[in-house]
Amino acid sequence: MRKLYIDRMLYNVGKFVLRVFALSVLVFTISRLAPGDPLYAYYGERVEKMSVAQQEQARERLGLNEPLFTQYARWMQGACRGDFGISYQYKTDVKEVIAARIGNTLILGGLGFLLIFVLALWLGLFCAWREDRAADRIICKIGTVTSCVPEFWLSLLLLLVFAVWLDWLPGSGAYSVGKEGDAADRAAHLVLPLAVVVLGHLWYYAFQVRNRLLEEVRADYVLLARMKGLRGKQVLYRHCLRGALPSYLSMMAVALPHILGGTYVVETVFSYPGIGTLAYESARYQDYNLLMVVSLLTGTAVIFCNMLAGMISGRIDPRMRIHGLPGGGEVRG
Amino acid sequence: MMKKKFPALSLLILTAIVIFCFACEGLMAMDPRYMDLAYCNEAPGKEFFFGTDTMGRDIFSMICHGGRISLTIGFLATLLSTILAVFAGSVSGCAPARIDGVLMALTELFLSVPGLLLTVFLQAVFGGANVYSLSVVIGLTGWMSMAKVVRTEVLQLRHTDYVLAAKCLGGGFFHVLFRHLAPNFFPSVLFMAVMNVRNAIIAESTLSFVGLGLPVEEVSWGSILSLSENALLSRSWWIILIPGAFLVGTLLCLTNLGNYMRGNANRRHSNLGCEKNHKKNMKQL
Amino acid sequence: MDVLKVENLSVSFYRPEGEIEAVKNVSFSLREGEILAVMGETGCGKSVLCKSILKLLPDIARIKTGHIYAGGEEITDYSEEQMRKLRGSFFSMVFQNPMTALNPCMSVGAQIVEAVRLHQPGLSRRERRQRAAELMHLVGLDHPGERARQYPFQISGGMAQRCVIAIALAAQPSVLFADEATTALDVTVQAQILDLFLELRKKTGMSIVLVTHNPGVAARTADRVALMKDGELTGVGDVEEIFEEIIHRQNVI
Repeated sequence: MRKLYIDRMLYNVGKFVLRVFALSVLVFTISRLAPGDPLYAYYGERVEKMSVAQQEQARERLGLNEPLFTQYARWMQGACRGDFGISYQYKTDVKEVIAARIGNTLILGGLGFLLIFVLALWLGLFCAWREDRAADRIICKIGTVTSCVPEFWLSLLLLLVFAVWLDWLPGSGAYSVGKEGDAADRAAHLVLPLAVVVLGHLWYYAFQVRNRLLEEVRADYVLLARMKGLRGKQVLYRHCLRGALPSYLSMMAVALPHILGGTYVVETVFSYPGIGTLAYESARYQDYNLLMVVSLLTGTAVIFCNMLAGMISGRIDPRMRIHGLPGGGEVRG
Repeated sequence: MMKKKFPALSLLILTAIVIFCFACEGLMAMDPRYMDLAYCNEAPGKEFFFGTDTMGRDIFSMICHGGRISLTIGFLATLLSTILAVFAGSVSGCAPARIDGVLMALTELFLSVPGLLLTVFLQAVFGGANVYSLSVVIGLTGWMSMAKVVRTEVLQLRHTDYVLAAKCLGGGFFHVLFRHLAPNFFPSVLFMAVMNVRNAIIAESTLSFVGLGLPVEEVSWGSILSLSENALLSRSWWIILIPGAFLVGTLLCLTNLGNYMRGNANRRHSNLGCEKNHKKNMKQL
Repeated sequence: MDVLKVENLSVSFYRPEGEIEAVKNVSFSLREGEILAVMGETGCGKSVLCKSILKLLPDIARIKTGHIYAGGEEITDYSEEQMRKLRGSFFSMVFQNPMTALNPCMSVGAQIVEAVRLHQPGLSRRERRQRAAELMHLVGLDHPGERARQYPFQISGGMAQRCVIAIALAAQPSVLFADEATTALDVTVQAQILDLFLELRKKTGMSIVLVTHNPGVAARTADRVALMKDGELTGVGDVEEIFEEIIHRQNVI
């Protein structure tokens, strides 16, 4: 049993490494095929001041004339040592640029994720309990509408109402100038972006919870549970929720990178200094070293969370825990 | 469960928007690209129905013209992604396990690259953005989840008894495909296709909005809104609200239509009874 | 003394297409310690009849007319909360498919303990387990300690049905409804479960309503038989009477 467990862990780790490797090859190839001189990525605007011979020399030195494969091997070598190259736009190490901003994104995305996690479950239960009654219908209608509003427009709408018309909340940045350490100020700056992140995703997940619960509520075991003498609500919370929880947890594991990635657009609209703004800036100014690390980071998170989801449902659902599929099974969706 | 109601209102609004965008050349009083700096930030009024933007363009004409671009991109991108998805999905569903495994691993890999970043890369590869390149880019990034659905459907259907029965009764390949398989996975493919139109329109507008899609001069629903930062400063609500309302309205109608096409849920009744709905049910009589 | 009496009971389903009367003007009574078989074709309303007495039907179904007396008290207009208190303690029910009737995500022990806890809230954790083990022993489940940790998908249909019966018996009900309780099981297991019902009746003295479409089951187990057709009761009587009548009728035709 223990050996089987270790085998499965090894299998998972191997699969994870293989996938991240494939992802890095893909991302590297695309970034090198993309137009724009990679020399810029190393020297920035100085390239324009170089002579043709100097440029050629630099190319030679950086190995840009070598085949793609060798270049990739070199990049990988650097990456293993933690050297991802230099950001053209910021003129510093990519690692530093990202380190300075990742905290902001994690706060926004992490808080958003937590809120969505709790609210979606609550809303799903609320609607499932009141299936087809007025409250459920109204929430479903509102939910459909919110799920149709693109995030950037929702951001604009909130900005227009709360930052321009009412002037209640600040509309851009992560903090006011000179108030870097002020928690209240930071919180005020978080409200609107957070609202967009939550509203943009909430209904999708709440609706899934609702539908999953509605399936559970139709199962035969509900009758037996009520026959025992449980109240309807107790059946919903103690029995139906238990059936819906494994798929909810694995769904939320998959959702984690999506919600973190969903902050990209929001960050841009609110000029919130996070990874998302960085991603768009780097794409716009063709800062490929930076873009590559950002997408690799996000992609790795997606791969990791997908595998996590498989493992979670494998641990929680007794059907999967005991009969166990090799590798925990992937969550397809 | 009751049968789903046909979303007549959604269809009506959607048709109206499409007609407005494609057939209203005559109504377009002004050239959407013409910047009349004498009339910047005009509020909606008699001369400019929906006002003018910060560059003095007529928003009414811009919505009309931009809608044409946005809807075209939505349609073209969906066409591409649907073809790709149906192809990849059915090959994967019918092929031997090993090829299926490779194809699905590839799909997973594409799914793990954040969609917007993939779009950005492809956009960079194609160089300057125009309607067609943007459609291709969005189409190329939107086929994966649909391919998975098609594969699952094909796999499931391939092993059902009624397909076997149809074969036993002497049905040829195409007979089985069109009479038995297609009617079964058509609703879900159609649903995903409609949702893809929606997602493509969202992707186009988002990309254009952040400046990675169509340039500001090329009017689309996304690029109209890319000037909204200036609009916020000058409190010109009409620049944000009116094009946005058209965008959201279109998306909502598409969603309603898509949900209708998914077919009826036809579920049993809840076992959680508890008398809670009795009154309502009695009222319906 | 009648533990259960039903008078002129009609139950209707109100669908958007219109009203469907599933049970029409049914009257019968159940004596103490008696096994009554309700027999009829599939879809004739046997199951709806049982569920309407326990008020376990979906929202769209309603009792239109009639009276239900349980232990001499009229319960026709009982609220959900009042019914909840009766369920498990006065009435219990065993369902057709034990594999779906048990919650697949809970161990069978936990499900039995839950029933015990509901009706005897004063018991300690250990006493509850003790009581669950007794129940499992009562319904003929061996090794209760190990069994209790298993999940429904790990045990056979017959075992699962025994677990459901253990849950149903947790609060010593006076009336047990067995809604096609043996239909989904293998023939040999069917016989075992029917024997278990007979044994339980002897031990606890409860009355059993055995819903079945199988005349063999009815003849083997029941004291009296009620025949149902298209929602109506067409005859109630002792086993011999009813079966003779059926044979007679068929000969006439």
